[in-house]
Amino acid sequence: MLDLLISGIVYGGIITLGAIGLTLMSDILGFFNFAYGEYFALGAYGTLMLTGVFNSSSTFKGLTFGWSMVASVFISAIITIAIILLIDFIFFRPLRKRGVTPLFMALASLGVSFVIRAAINIIWGPKVRYYSNAIQLSREMPFGIHITNEEIVILVSTFSLVILVYLFLKNTRIGKSMRAVSNNELLAKVCGINTEVVIVWTWILSGVLAAIAGTFYGIRVQLRPIMGWEFLIPLFVAVIMGGIGNFWGAMVSGMIIGISEELITGLVQNLLNSMNITADVSVYKPAVAFILVVLILLLKPYGLFGRKEA
Amino acid sequence: MDFLAERKRSMINYLSSYLVMASIYAIMALALNMQWGFTGLMNFGIGAFYMVGAYTSAILTVGPTEEHLGGFGLPILIGILCAALMAGLIAYLISFPALKLRGGPFAIALLAIQETIFLVVKNESWLTNGVWGIRGIPRPFFNLVDPTNYSFIFLLVVAVCLIGVYFGVETAVRSPWGRVLRGIREDEILTEMSGKDCTKYRRQSFVFSSMIMGIAGALYVHYTGFVSPQVFSPLMSTFIIWLMVMVGGTGNNRGVILGAFLIWAIWVGSDFITDMVPASIATRIGFIRMLFVGLILGVTVLLRPQGIMRERLFSLKIFAEEEIS
Repeated sequence: MLDLLISGIVYGGIITLGAIGLTLMSDILGFFNFAYGEYFALGAYGTLMLTGVFNSSSTFKGLTFGWSMVASVFISAIITIAIILLIDFIFFRPLRKRGVTPLFMALASLGVSFVIRAAINIIWGPKVRYYSNAIQLSREMPFGIHITNEEIVILVSTFSLVILVYLFLKNTRIGKSMRAVSNNELLAKVCGINTEVVIVWTWILSGVLAAIAGTFYGIRVQLRPIMGWEFLIPLFVAVIMGGIGNFWGAMVSGMIIGISEELITGLVQNLLNSMNITADVSVYKPAVAFILVVLILLLKPYGLFGRKEA
Repeated sequence: MDFLAERKRSMINYLSSYLVMASIYAIMALALNMQWGFTGLMNFGIGAFYMVGAYTSAILTVGPTEEHLGGFGLPILIGILCAALMAGLIAYLISFPALKLRGGPFAIALLAIQETIFLVVKNESWLTNGVWGIRGIPRPFFNLVDPTNYSFIFLLVVAVCLIGVYFGVETAVRSPWGRVLRGIREDEILTEMSGKDCTKYRRQSFVFSSMIMGIAGALYVHYTGFVSPQVFSPLMSTFIIWLMVMVGGTGNNRGVILGAFLIWAIWVGSDFITDMVPASIATRIGFIRMLFVGLILGVTVLLRPQGIMRERLFSLKIFAEEEIS
C-alpha cells in the first residue's frame, strides 16, 4: 500500500514536470501541441545516445548512473531545444503568421508528432532500451517503505525543478512577460512585450522540462519509441484537470494522476486476488487517466481550479 | 504465356482489393468529414467506433466457438445493423461528458476513449479472444464464385454501401439540419443565439457519423474474415483517415472520397517499394510510411490547408481567423 503510494508519487512527479511545460505551452501558444510527447521521447533518447558517446562506466555510489548521465541530460536538453526551435521556425511560425486557428494548429502538430516518432523508430529501432542494465536497489525506510535510490534522486530533482521554474516565472523579466502574455496577449503586446521572444522562451522552458522528464521516465521505467505518444494522454489530462495555464493546477493534477494510476490498479488487484478472481488489472493502468478526465468533466467541466471564462 | 496471364490476373486482384479497402476508408472519411468538416468536432478517436463496429459484427455473425463470446451465427445484414447500433450507442453515452469540451480537450478525451476501448479489446479474451483475434467471420455471397475472385463480389457490396453513405451524408448536410451544423462550425455562439440547441445538434451529428463508422468496421471484418486488435493501431484506424480528409478537402464529400483513394494508393504503392529495397531497410518500411504520413500532413497544412477540393458553399473558418484590427 505504502509502496504503491511511493511509486505513484514518483510517477506523478514525472507527469508534473511534463505537465508544467505543456500547460505553459498550451496557454502561451494557444493551441494543444500533440508533438509534445515526442519532445519528451526525444529528450530521453538524446540522453541515451549521449551516454553511449561518453561510454563511462563510473557511477555514483548506490546509483545506476554517474556524472556522464548528468552531463548527457544537459546536452540532451540543449539538443531537444534546438530541434524544437527549428520545427517552430520552419513550421509553426509560418502558420502563426498566417493566423491559423488553434484547432488547425493542433492538427498541424500531429504531423510533427508522426515525423519525430518515425525518426526515433528509424534511428533507434522499435526495441525496448534501458540506460543501465544494473539492478536498482531498494532501501528500507521507516514505516516499512521501500524506495530505490534512483526514486529519491528523481523526487528531489523534480521538486527542486518545480520550485526553480516557479521562481523563474515569478521573478525574472522573461517569466513576468510570459505570465503577461498568458493573461492577456493583446494587452501584453500593447505594453511593448515582444510575443515572439516570449514564445521562444516558452519553447525553451518546456523543452528543458520535457527532456528531463523523459530521462527520468527512462531511468524509472524504460525507453520505447512509443513512450511519448503513450505519455501524451496523462500529460494532457493533467493540463485539462488543472486548468490550462495553471501552474499549481498542473502540479496537483499530475500528482493525482500518478498516485491514482498506481493506487487504483493496485487496490483493485488486491481486491480481486482476495476474492480469488484471476485477472490482470495492471494492463488497465493507462485507462485510469481516462476515467479521471470523464469524472472531472462531469463534475467540474472547467478543471479543478479553472475559472469559467478560461 | 501462362505466366503472363497469371501475372495479369494477380494485378487485377490486387487492384480490386485496393479498391475495396479504399472504399471502406472512404466511408470512414465521409463520416469523419461530417464531424470535422461540417460540425467542427475534432475527433481523434474515430478508430474506437470502427473497432466497436468490427467486433460487434464479428461476434454476432461468427459460428459456434469456445474461444470467446459469440457463436450466434446471425445473418451478416443483422451483424452490420447491430454494429451501427452499438457504435451509435457508445457514441451517445460518450457524448454526455465529451461534448462539454471543445477543440483540443475534446480531441484528447476521444483519444483516451480510443486507447481505453483498445485496451479492453486487447485484454478481455473472453469477449474478443484478445490478441489472437476472431477467425472464420462469414463473408457475404462467398459461395457464389471461386475464392480467388471474391474481392470482385465484395467490391460490389462495398461500392453500394459507399454510394449509399455518400448520398445519405450529402443529403443530410444540404438539409436545414446540415445548415445548423455548419453554423455551429462557423460560430457556435451565434447559432445558439438563433435559438438552436447546439449541444443537441452536435450530439446528433456525432452519433450519426459514429454509426457510419460502425458500418465501415463491420464491412472490414466481413471482407477479411478475420479481426484482431493489431489492425486498430491509432495510425491505421484514425490518423490515416484524418490525412485522407485533410488532403481530399475538408468539408467536401467528393473531395474526401478522392482523398481516401489517393492516400490509400500511396500507402499500398509503397508495398512495391518494399520489394525493391534491401531487406535491412524493408523491415523499417512501416516507420518510413509513418514519416511520409507526417510529412504529407505537414505539407498539406502549410501549402494547401483546404485540401484538393475546397468546400464550395462557405468559407471555412476552421483554417484561419480574421485578423484582429
